[in-house]
Amino acid sequence: MHEIKVMKNLKPAYDKNLIYARLGYDKTRTGLPPHVHEEAERLIKKAENTLSLVGAYRIMDIAETSPPRVVLEDGTILSGIKLAELMKGCSQALIMLATGGGKIMELIGRLQEEGRMSEAVVIDAAASEITDSVLDMVMLHVSQLLRSKGKILTQRRFSPGYGDFDILQQKELYRLMDGEAFGISMNEACMLLPEKSVLAIAGISGI
Amino acid sequence: MTKKDFRKLFNNRIVLLDGGMGTLLQEAGMPGGVCPEKWSSQNRDLVIDIQKSYIEAGSDIIYTPTFGANPIKLTEYALSGEAFELNRILAETSCYIASGATSRPAGKKVLVAGDISSCGNLLEPFGSVGFEEAVENVKAQARGLLAGGVDLFVIETIMDLQEARAALIAIKELCDLPVMVTMTYEGNRTLMGSDPVSALVTLQSLGADAVGCNCSGGPAEMVDLIRQMKPYAKVPLIAKPNAGKPRLENGRTVFDMDPESFASYAEALVEAGSNALGGCCGTTPEYIKKLKEAVTGLKPVKHERKPYSLVCSNRRTVEIHETLPFAVIGERLNPTGKKALKEALVNRDMDYVSDLAREQVEAGAVLLDVNAGVPGINEKETLASMVMAVCNAVDTPILVDTSNAEALEQALRIYPGRAVVNSVSGEKEKIEKILPLAQKYGAMFVLLPVDDNGVPETAEERIEIIKDVYKKAKKLGFTREDILVDGLVMTIASKPESAVETLKVISWCKKRFRANTTIGLSNVSFGLPSREQINSSFLSMAIACGLTTAILNPNNRQIMQNVKACDALAARDKSALAYIGLFSDQAGNPDKPAQPLPKGPKSIYEAVINGDAASAAELARQVLITGKPPRLIMDDELIPAIKKVGELYEDKKYFLPQLIKGAEAMEKAMEVILPELEKDSGNTGMNKGTIVIATVRGDVHDIGKNIVAMLLRNYGFNVIDLGKDVEASRIIDAAKANNADIIALSALMTTTMNQMPKVMSVMKEEGLTCDMMVGGAAVDSRFAGSFGAHYANDAYKAVKLAERLINQSKTGVDL
Repeated sequence: MHEIKVMKNLKPAYDKNLIYARLGYDKTRTGLPPHVHEEAERLIKKAENTLSLVGAYRIMDIAETSPPRVVLEDGTILSGIKLAELMKGCSQALIMLATGGGKIMELIGRLQEEGRMSEAVVIDAAASEITDSVLDMVMLHVSQLLRSKGKILTQRRFSPGYGDFDILQQKELYRLMDGEAFGISMNEACMLLPEKSVLAIAGISGI
Repeated sequence: MTKKDFRKLFNNRIVLLDGGMGTLLQEAGMPGGVCPEKWSSQNRDLVIDIQKSYIEAGSDIIYTPTFGANPIKLTEYALSGEAFELNRILAETSCYIASGATSRPAGKKVLVAGDISSCGNLLEPFGSVGFEEAVENVKAQARGLLAGGVDLFVIETIMDLQEARAALIAIKELCDLPVMVTMTYEGNRTLMGSDPVSALVTLQSLGADAVGCNCSGGPAEMVDLIRQMKPYAKVPLIAKPNAGKPRLENGRTVFDMDPESFASYAEALVEAGSNALGGCCGTTPEYIKKLKEAVTGLKPVKHERKPYSLVCSNRRTVEIHETLPFAVIGERLNPTGKKALKEALVNRDMDYVSDLAREQVEAGAVLLDVNAGVPGINEKETLASMVMAVCNAVDTPILVDTSNAEALEQALRIYPGRAVVNSVSGEKEKIEKILPLAQKYGAMFVLLPVDDNGVPETAEERIEIIKDVYKKAKKLGFTREDILVDGLVMTIASKPESAVETLKVISWCKKRFRANTTIGLSNVSFGLPSREQINSSFLSMAIACGLTTAILNPNNRQIMQNVKACDALAARDKSALAYIGLFSDQAGNPDKPAQPLPKGPKSIYEAVINGDAASAAELARQVLITGKPPRLIMDDELIPAIKKVGELYEDKKYFLPQLIKGAEAMEKAMEVILPELEKDSGNTGMNKGTIVIATVRGDVHDIGKNIVAMLLRNYGFNVIDLGKDVEASRIIDAAKANNADIIALSALMTTTMNQMPKVMSVMKEEGLTCDMMVGGAAVDSRFAGSFGAHYANDAYKAVKLAERLINQSKTGVDL
């Protein structure tokens, strides 16, 4: 089992179109007056400046994959048909974490309290998308490190709560990544706090 | 080999590098999981065979098989103590093969490049490896390679420009051998966000003898990267791509490009500007052989490099030139006369520094002057912290403003780009201590025409100093493009002629010396009233004389208007777009350039449609004054307006922020109207029904629920919002106490949505007959229907659903 590697002060590349899509923007139908567009861009920038982005990862050997189970080297069992499909042929798992920190949630909360919901909703969407992009960055970084060893990373990653990868398995990933060390807590509903935090898993294959 | 001889290699020919090593070692029997370098050192005959094949295929330069042989990386295999020996042995092996290459034409020596790559961990501020730790890590490896006899070095497959800098500095501090540096790009940037031009400018200024890209994607992606770099390249460019994209085949990683396809890009890469070609992952000697065939007869592109003055951060390059928009250098990160900044630096409050950096950049600064000169603090540490804080906050390049050589060196050493040293004067100490530092770290510098005799009063005296400093700088390899001449601004309050003398210097620099210029603008008005007027006028005069940059306050609106006006007048702002943009802000923050706002709405209806809350409230007041009954204002304007906003959202002509802004505008108008409505009839008519809304127990997501609550209020419902993480019993109690018509619940997670049927169950036990509607990412109509609830998948649909449920409840008819 490899140690947890941390990446801080990150400025990931992200797709602004996805932020607009989260806000219901349809490029073929939504009219965006210049002042509305500029305000949205300003708020996206504000989200970027307020987030304290941290990513982390660790690589673990896979002891066994027998769908729907994926068993890691320390005996941790993850379960999901889609997950097992993703990990088919993989000898290792890449477990990842990303968080945007607490300040962004304070900002979103404050804006709502001040009755500035239209600003809060843009910042919220931007924060979600940008935090998710940290995982893209982690995967790119690991992918590059693996290339010299003749290994490749699966293109996709899974997070608990999506598909049949039960949200309860968030507990396992949280434990493996020592979420608490990153200022992340998890409530009894397996919700990560601060909210702009995410755990995920991808597979490593090749010789 | 000398740097001069290295440069000669590229005269009129394309230099061939080697190809991949890792895959070939695996094919030769290297097992998985072992340290490749250790295994190679124990199987040197196999390494010899591979490298011989590359030489026979045509490689002019082979890389030592030491890619991961640095102490930090070797820790993975508990071999960090063997770094020196591994590198020495493997370098010796490569040199042995290269020297004995009898198949090469006489006189055509095969060169050996000591291969250095990433330590595998990120450097600060992204990771845990300190800059000096990274430098020492490379030195440990490089010493072994030098002992093994390498001819030059290559730093390759680097994702972080700062790590490339650390490696380059390490080698420079050990020896004078040539160094090639190639970065790895994902699309148009490295992982840590560097574009190819910023990487090139930083590395070639720092002393790299060749720069380029390797690994990344296949050759097609590399053509554009090279093309971007070429206009600015002072050194040969390298392209060493992968054999296309990797994929898994029978459990092994293979690449999708064959040698012919790979080599077919050779011509495009040469035309784009490559001087050296090779292959990376997935390539073999066959690929190099095909490359050799493809480049036979090809010559490097003749390139007339224009003189450029380029400053860069690790993510952005700024060019300074008289034909480009005037370069504003933000002055606000200098604590002189700034109490708040002084305090922040004393307390090491770098958040304050970051905020100041952002404010200046948002106001239009393209460079930032960074100064930590506060008495009693550790300037070296503080300046370094400021530099990193600015780098993390913005992409804007910097001027390092200090006369403290130790502080300057530290700042330049860790700055992940190409900075400007502010400043070098004709004073002996500056020439001896500061100028060499600018040279060592590849920085530009501000030339201050002052010497040990003091501040010259006349332009002629200043010009003599400029010439003298330039002569000394030339000996260290500087050119005119590396200099910003400071016109030297003194206050006209004490020296009335000083402004004119400064203008003469600027004019001379433009017409005769042909160098960029700068001034510390605010000095000219010190001690005078209405300083802004003097500063602004002097700036215009200086720009007219040829000034290309100035250190000023970018948050001063008048000055920035002046700058934009001058750019427009000098035809440096095409179609005066930047100028028009600066002046089109009608109502908002006057210091921010903005898009034109729509003309003021003529009616409350229009104000709500436009989401203009301030106008909606004001127009509501005005209409009330005319005597129009508030009930009519509601029915004629507000209710139709919010309905229209909802329809626009449903048709996707509005997106969510516009829907909410419409609701906010409605709210503001209602704040004005409601008291009058109550006076009139005691009945606002704004109670279509009562809804108790909450996010269920265990769930703390509430922004979606808050949006629904807001819209429901705007559409005339009485909303009791219980917040988030709410127990079922509390929801029921609130519904009973308020005689709720509807309970609305939100849950984002599969672990919390199960609270919803529980609430329904308690409702029934308590005999409540109100409706329930539910929403949230985890919920859908099937789930809702399974326990008798109704489902809405967005805020507006929640409003429509509520209206339908209330209507059904009243009429017994489900529309």
